[in-house]
Formats: sequence, C-alpha cells, structure tokens
Amino acid sequence: MKASYQWLRSFVPQIPDDPSAFAARITSAGLEVEGVHFYGAGIDPCEIVTVVSMRPHPSKSGLRLVTVDRGAAGTLEVICGAPNVPDPGGMVVLAPLGTTLPAKGMTIERRAIAGVMSEGMLCSESELGLTEEGEGILVLPPGFAKPGTRFIDAVPTAKDVIFEIGLTPNRADCLGHLGLAREAAALYGIPWQPPAPEAPVRFATNGSKAADFIKVTIEDGERCPHYAAAVLTDVTNGPSPLALRYRLASLGVRSISNLVDVTNLVMLEYGHPMHAFDLDRLQGAQIVVRRAKAGEKLKTLDGVDRTLDVDDLVICDGNGPLALAGVMGGGDSEITASTKRVLLECAFFDSRTVRRSARRHGLHTESSHRFERGVDHGDTADALAHAVALTARLADGIAIPGIVVTVGRALERTAVTLRAARMNALLGIDLHFEESLGTLRRLGFEVRIHEKSAAATSSAECLVPTHRPDVAREVDLIEEIGRVHGYDAIPAKLPPIRASREVGDKEESAQKARAAAVAVGLSEAVTLSFLAPKVLAAIGAPPPAVVLRNPLTETQSVMRTSLLPGLLDVVGRARRHGERDVRVFTVGRIFLGGSEPSGLPNEPVVFAAVLAGDRAAYLTKAQPIDVWDAKGAAIAFVERFARRTPDVRALAGSARPAHLHPRGAGVLEIAGTPIGTFGMLHPDVVDALDVGGPVVVLEIELELLAKLGVAATQYVPIPRFPPSTRDIAFVVHDDVAVGDVASAVRTAAGALAERVEIFDRFVGDPVPASHANLAFRIVYRALDRTLTDAEVDAQNERVKQEVGARFGATIRA
Amino acid sequence: MSAQGPSPTSTEIHAGIEQALAAMRTRFPDRFAAATTEQLLRDENAKILGKKGELTSILSQMGKVPADARKAIGESVNALRREVEAAFEEALKALFQAKRKAELEARPFDLTLPGRVPAQLGHRHPLSIVREEVISIFRGMGFAVHDGPEVELEENNFTKLGFPPDHPAVDMQDSFWTTSNHLLRTHTSNIQARAMSSRTPPMAFIAPGAVYRRDDDVTHSPMFHQLEAFLVDENVSMAHLKGVLAEFAERLYGPGTPVRLRPSYFPFVEPGAEVDIGCVFCKQPDGTRVGCNLCKHTGWIEILGCGMIHPVVFEACGIDPEKFTGFALGMGIERIAMLRYGVPDIRLFFENDPRFLSQF
Repeated sequence: MKASYQWLRSFVPQIPDDPSAFAARITSAGLEVEGVHFYGAGIDPCEIVTVVSMRPHPSKSGLRLVTVDRGAAGTLEVICGAPNVPDPGGMVVLAPLGTTLPAKGMTIERRAIAGVMSEGMLCSESELGLTEEGEGILVLPPGFAKPGTRFIDAVPTAKDVIFEIGLTPNRADCLGHLGLAREAAALYGIPWQPPAPEAPVRFATNGSKAADFIKVTIEDGERCPHYAAAVLTDVTNGPSPLALRYRLASLGVRSISNLVDVTNLVMLEYGHPMHAFDLDRLQGAQIVVRRAKAGEKLKTLDGVDRTLDVDDLVICDGNGPLALAGVMGGGDSEITASTKRVLLECAFFDSRTVRRSARRHGLHTESSHRFERGVDHGDTADALAHAVALTARLADGIAIPGIVVTVGRALERTAVTLRAARMNALLGIDLHFEESLGTLRRLGFEVRIHEKSAAATSSAECLVPTHRPDVAREVDLIEEIGRVHGYDAIPAKLPPIRASREVGDKEESAQKARAAAVAVGLSEAVTLSFLAPKVLAAIGAPPPAVVLRNPLTETQSVMRTSLLPGLLDVVGRARRHGERDVRVFTVGRIFLGGSEPSGLPNEPVVFAAVLAGDRAAYLTKAQPIDVWDAKGAAIAFVERFARRTPDVRALAGSARPAHLHPRGAGVLEIAGTPIGTFGMLHPDVVDALDVGGPVVVLEIELELLAKLGVAATQYVPIPRFPPSTRDIAFVVHDDVAVGDVASAVRTAAGALAERVEIFDRFVGDPVPASHANLAFRIVYRALDRTLTDAEVDAQNERVKQEVGARFGATIRA
Repeated sequence: MSAQGPSPTSTEIHAGIEQALAAMRTRFPDRFAAATTEQLLRDENAKILGKKGELTSILSQMGKVPADARKAIGESVNALRREVEAAFEEALKALFQAKRKAELEARPFDLTLPGRVPAQLGHRHPLSIVREEVISIFRGMGFAVHDGPEVELEENNFTKLGFPPDHPAVDMQDSFWTTSNHLLRTHTSNIQARAMSSRTPPMAFIAPGAVYRRDDDVTHSPMFHQLEAFLVDENVSMAHLKGVLAEFAERLYGPGTPVRLRPSYFPFVEPGAEVDIGCVFCKQPDGTRVGCNLCKHTGWIEILGCGMIHPVVFEACGIDPEKFTGFALGMGIERIAMLRYGVPDIRLFFENDPRFLSQF
C-alpha cells in the first residue's frame, strides 16, 4: 500500500512534519514502512511561466528559442526541442538554472547549443518525475497561475512523501487513507473523526430519483450483503485536473479519465473499491447480483474472454454479466469518452467469494485485493456520496438524488469482552485499564465498562467497528492495545521451563550421522526431497509412494524413495563444472508406503554417500577411487556412528541391488541384520543419470542401525610387554579370495597373534601367471610376559604349514 | 712388532712395548681425525681397543716382561687406553656436532610445497551448522526436540492452526498436495498441532525440519528449512517470549545484540510479531549501527516471526485457553545462514557445488 503523507496530514494535521519519525512510529505499531519515496523530488525551484515569443534556432533544425515571462523575475530565453511549445500566452514549466531533477539525473546549467545560450529548461512531466508519459513538455492553459508562481504552490500534489507500507492481510482498514489517518491519530493519541463526504455541486431538482433510473436485485445475499448504486447524468468524460492526476500517479495509479479516476481516488481514500458503469450501455435499466450460470461468458476490462464458474458472483444487467463482482468490470459496460450517464457502484461482497473468483481467473486487482481482506461494510453510503460529489464537480455531471441501497443480508457487529487481568497476564505488563480502553476508542471501538469492581476484575464490552472485521476475540483487542502501546515496553523475562522429553530421534540420528560422516572425510549435501519418477526407476529404487498433484516441474513430482539420485546429481553437476573429486553424503528422509491408519507415508531417515574422482595423494600420481574406498568409508562410518564393526559380504546374483555393479556390490551386516549396501554404481545407471563417470556409493539405514544399539565402549588394557612381528607371504592362485587367506592366517596364528594384516598384494613377474603374492604381517604378543623368539618362530611355522597346505600356497621368505 | 734376530731380552721387550705404545700414542689422533663417519671412527677405535685390537696384542706380550716391569707397562697401557677412549668420545662428539650442524645448516625445506592433508577433511553443510547451533541454544534453555512428518494431514498443517479452508496458503497455488490428499507441510508448525493434540501442558519443544512451498526464485526454494519453538504452560506471557528471544539473539549473535518486536500477523498467533535484531553487519565497536545495504540502512534485520499461541489453536487441540497460554516462534534456517555467510542466492544451498560445500 502506497500512502501519501500530504493526504494523511490533510486529514490529521497534528501528525508531525517528520516523515522518518512517522515511518518509525507506524512501523512499531505493525504498519511496516518498507520504503519511502520522494515524489516530485527536486522540483521546488520549477516555476510556471508564460510563453512570450518563439523563434527557430539559427543553425539547428528542430530546436526553437523560446522567450518566457517569469513575472517579477523578468524574461529569459531557453532552447527547447519539444514539438508542442504553445503559442504566446500559453503557460509552461521552467526549470531555472541550477535546478537538479533527480528523475532524469540532470542539473540545469547555462549552456550553448550551436552558439546560442539556453538559460533554463522547459520541462515535461517525466522530466519532473511526475508521470511516466512524456509526449512533449507540460503545457498549462493560459491564466493557470501568475507567471513566476512555483509549480508546487500551484499544484501541491506534485510534491509528496510516499510511504510504501507492507500491510499484513488482517489490516484491510489501512488500505485507504482515511483508515490510515484513523490509525495514525490513534498512535499519536489525537482525537479524530472522519470527514463528512463532500456535497455535490450540481444535483437534479426535477424530482427524479436514482431509483427511477435503476432497479437493483440481489439474488445471493450470502455473497453480496450490500449493494449501493448512484446515478449521475450529463457527465463530460475527459482528462482529470493535474492535482488529481499527480495524486493518483504518486500512489502508483495511472490516470484514465475523470470518471474512472474518481472511483480510484475514492478507493484510495476510503479503501472501498468502486465501479463505474456507462448507464446507457446497460440493458433493461437493472442490476442483478447473482451467481454465474455454468458456461456464461464475460469479456473483462483486460480484454480477456472468460468462461464463468457457478461459484463466481457476477453483476448483471437485463442481458447478462457486466462484471465479475469485486474483481473486474466488463468491456461492454465500460466508461468511454462519450459516456453521458454513469452508474456508480459501491458494494460489499463476501471476501471468500472474491478470493475464489480472483484465484480462479488468475486476476489480482486493487479491488479484489481489498475485498479479499475485508472492506468496511459500514461506509458504502459515505464512499458513494463522496464519489457522486467528486464526479459532479470534476465531470460536470448532475447528481441524481437518492442512492439505491439494497441489502442482501443484515450484518451484525460483534461485541467482545475485555478483561483487565487477562490483558496484563498475556502481555506480561501492567497497563492502566482506562488508558487501554482509550486506545480502543481511538481505533473506533465503542467501549462500555462493566459495572465498577476491583481493578483486577475490571472488564469492558467493546463493540467492534465495521472497519475492523479482523477483530473477533478478546485476544485481538489485547493485541490492539499491546501494539499501540508498543512491544518495546514489555519487559524480557526468561520463563521457568519445565523440561519436556525429546520426542522422536530422527534429529538425533541425523546429527550423529553428520558428525560421523564428516569425521570420515565426507562433505554434506542437502538435496531436494522431490525428484522425477524416472530417476528412481533408473536406480531401481522403490516406486514412489508419494506423488504430488501440483508439482512445479516434472523433475520435482514425486517424493524420493532413495537419497542416491540427489547425490548423483551433485556429482554429475560437479563434473560438468570440472570438479572431478567429490566425496559427498546426505542425511535425510525418504518417503515409503505407510502402514499408519492416517495413510501417511513412512519417513525413515537414511544416510547415503557418493565418492568420485581420485583418492588424495601427495606429490604423486593420484589413484582413482574404487570399491574398497566405499567399503572403507562404510565401515568407518558405521564404527563412528554405532561403535560396531559391520560384517561385509559380497552380494551377487539376485541378491545384488540393481543399481550396483555386478562385480562390486556388498552388504553391511550387524549381527546378521543387513544395515546397508555399498559398491560401484552400475555403469548403466552412470549413463542413465548422466553421472559422467564411475562412482562408488553407499547407503545406510540409520534408524535400523540406531535400533540395533550403540555398543558401549569398554576400556581394554594397554599391553605392557613388547610385540614380536613376523612378515609372511604366500603365493596363491588369484581366484582365491584374499579374505579367506587372511582369516586362515588369523586362525592359524592363534591366541598369541594380536593383529594380522595384509600389507601387500603383488601380481606379475616373478609371481607365476594367474597367481598373487599376498604378504601378511602378524604381530604376536602376550599380555603377561615377553615372548621368546623360539615360541614366536614355532607359532609362525604353524601358520606357514596350515595356510600353505590349505591353499596350495608357495611360501616366500 | 719385530720378531727378527735373536730373541730379545725382557728389557728389550719392555722397551719395545713402551716404544709401540709411544708410536700408537702419536698416531691415534690422526687416525681418529681421518675417520669421517661414525662407522669409520668406530672401526678405527676397534682396531686399537677391540678384542683383537692393537692394544690387546701388545698386552699379549706382557707375559714376556719381567714381573717388576709389568706394573709400569700396565699403567702405561691403561693410560693410553684412557687417552684413546677419551679421544674417541671426543671425536664421536665432534662427528655428531658436525653432523647436527650440517643437518641444521643445510638448505631449508621448501615450505611453499603444499601441506599434506592429515586425512580427507569433511564439511558439514552450512544449513546443518546453523540448524545444530540453533537447536543447541534452545536445548540449553530447556526446550526438547520434537520430530514430525513432512507429508502431513491438512488438519495438522492448517485446520488446527486456525487457517480458514479458503486461506490462500491452503490452495493449490501455494502448497504441494499429494494424490492421497495429503500435503507437504508448509511450515514446522504442524508439530505444534501434533504435540498439543497428543499431550497436556506444560510442554517446551523445538521442531526443526524441511518445509515446502510452491515458490522458486533467488530468495525462495520450493523446499527449505524452518525451526519452530513453542512453550505452553500456565501464565506464559509475551514477556517470556521476549526473554527467550533476547537470550536466543545473544547466544546466536553475541552479547548485547538488541532485539525488537514489530507487530505482525500470522493466523495461529495473537498478538503476533516479527522480530528484528540489531544489524550484525554494520555494528560499530561502540555498539551503534551505521546502516548498510543488508539492513537497508535501518540498522535492523528481520530474523523470525513469533507470537502468543492463538486461543483458536488451543481449542482445536483440546487445550483450555483460559488455563494455559503459550508462545511460538519460527525462523527460516536458510535466511539465518544467508545472512551469516553472505550467501546471495538460496539455490546455492541446494546445488551443493563442492566448491561451495568446502567453504564451511
């Protein structure tokens, strides 16, 4: 909502002349000033001058030298390129030397054009920053003002401070300047009454009444409680006076013609939308307010042919729909240059009806904006009377006495009880009850204090004014008092909180998972929960359980059943940006078919990671990440998260998840329960999802893992005796699984072996073809003594024999 | 040792030994000096003092020396041994010192080579950093986390919170609906409805999580994150709300951060307010704010919305609004992160470019 400071101060002159203080005051009361614009900034020095004479520029065609009369300041000559310089006697606006016009970012300086000096500039409205239109300079009729008069003295609305107020949807009362004035008066504690509507300058004296011209019928009183209509004849539609044009322009409304401008001006004043019909274009001299019939058509003012819905409320004449009630008028009854008789409408339409129609037809208008939020149903007569008077004055029309008021449904005003004790308890402050009631009175409430009793039990009955449909309960009154008094006055106190127990452990699991993943060197991505169904199919994830009815795009149309597509998208995108090394994880919900009676899906929190590119290397050739990186990351993650080491098993055949490579797919298990999978992404999936190269992936079911429990950490004594280390190598056929050899070594090494690890696997000369040399390091140690070389050698010999025999291995030194 | 000619007399042997000792004494310093490494030095030392060393071989002739002279020779030998040992220690020390000196004075390591990263470093997402920090602040004040679903019933997302059925937020324009007539929650306030419907006050919860609205531009993502806190008990007032807000602002933005409430409107609170904190970008050392682009030269930055829980909500959830009151506050995690890290476009959070993630 744009608000004119000048206009407001004309209603409440006591408001201080300090725009920024005013902005701060109304912001603190909930009318947030989001911006302040200076309309007509810099035009103070501009003056109205009379054209005296004119001659062509001696050398430049298209330019003229215009001599103008500034009254007491004498005459001067300016160069002007505009085609519309009036004949001598006509008046124009001069920007004298030194004037800075911010609208075009220019300062007027004495300058020569092709040898001729210009002593100023004749201005257009756009150069003055008044309107966007700029067809030539602004021309005023002869005698508009005394030559030398400052423009802003002759047309005060040409300079104003405009506030951009971000109104919350409950404050429809402030969508007009009278409402804003009431609010401002209340905030400053100024007694205030709205001005009475202007009286028409011309009215019919022949005894005719509006009711003779028009008959109004409301067929749907629920949707249209009030409809008021007025009639003027003999109007002359034409341009509005400058003062009105600039008032509208400063508030962001384009001037159309005096008849239309009046309806807009009254809307900006009362906050109540109006509509003007060309009475001569109505069929049957009647207005019917009814719901549209299925398939009925209406061409709205924006030129769109609309098919109406039975839920739409329409204003009809004897023929059919003229306007979409409260939203937009129709072209067939539109005011035109030749309009002679006008019908003015000021009605009260049900807000929900207007909201539905506006949404249905994709129309958001100044009118629908106000009706949706709730206009004042008590001011239709005043607003209409004011519009009639303005029309009579500006369009030179004859007002027909007698507004036609039709009531579809009586509207009650609500009475709300306010208790002093409740007010103070809720606000946490001690306010004086009488003063608080004064605040309500200034906001327009009629207040009656209940029978006197102790201060603590004081209460009052407050009759809600028609301009505040948002107030329905005691708490709404308390808010009014609180906000006008100011929230700054409320002290800050920490509440005594009686702690609640955490409900649900999804957040806890997610936090732990993040910490564990970051510790194992993964970076977190946050991906969108919705995606395209085809990417779920591409990775063989469960089909979507939650499908959106109104997605923004097909690629965000179902809720994910796997975190992987989001992460693979991250990798693909990174690679397209030249980032090859990506190690990302995400923790989030997936959405699976539910078993709840409510029909809601299950939303388990799961963990997934994708590794791509090279392993970190230092000044050496980096090696690409492979399936063992996935295995290592998965095990390390589970160990960090649950303090348990998972068992790892290869998944082959039908047990293999479809998205994993047939040669590199594994499952992680704890005590026989699968808690996740890892492996190389299947190359078909890499291609289908445009991942841009091989990656390894892992997925962990966090909630399952959490349910299995975190192992308690138990201290293990640190050995006090030295270890004895032996390296031992076997050459085995390369189809033997290394893990099998390792566990055989482990078993054979017995209780004295503290640790067995493979530290080298070598293939190639001198190892025979199809064979691999596997080197293990065995660390022997006893907790209670130092082992002798003899017993270690003996044990190690047993390892050689047993493992060698079992795998047909050759032993290398 | 000479073994030529007729057998020498014991006196001659004695003299010979003394002579040999004298020769050794004159030669060993040079021999040690010539040893340029520790190993050569130790070898040389062994040649003199070792089991099969020169001194040992001299001592082996002691039997041929008259008994009365043995003592003198023994003393000479021991004296020489001590001299050699001392000289060896000295030489060893000198070698060590030379080696240490060389080690210290060699060309410095090239510290312009990149540092070797101890292990791969992971990064938490900025939204998680902010989320976890805010949660921990509220936990510190006694609030507990309450989880809830992202796919929700209209009842919990709208109806119980006092949204009329034709409120703009409810329709297809603003909210995502599923084919099962559920919707993606549009705020974390569904947790209020759930908590208040299923338990009796007092309760103090925080509800963090993803929410969804049909918007997509520089400042709106169709999925984003909110964190809501609410307290319901007897005698909860707006002063308590302000107390919690002040504490939150101090803990998140530092001591002395000013907080102001601007009256505002949300369907499920009354009175409702938006909360500004003193701009953290143009704050001066003396605590004043000079105004900047980020606070639009107001000195204030909006961070959240809040209010006293509307009696309509209590009634819808089966709680007596005469007996209990409460407050709720909710913030957008992206907004806090954008302000804190200077991220200009909300979509950066969801693009997850590795060059973005590694900055946090």
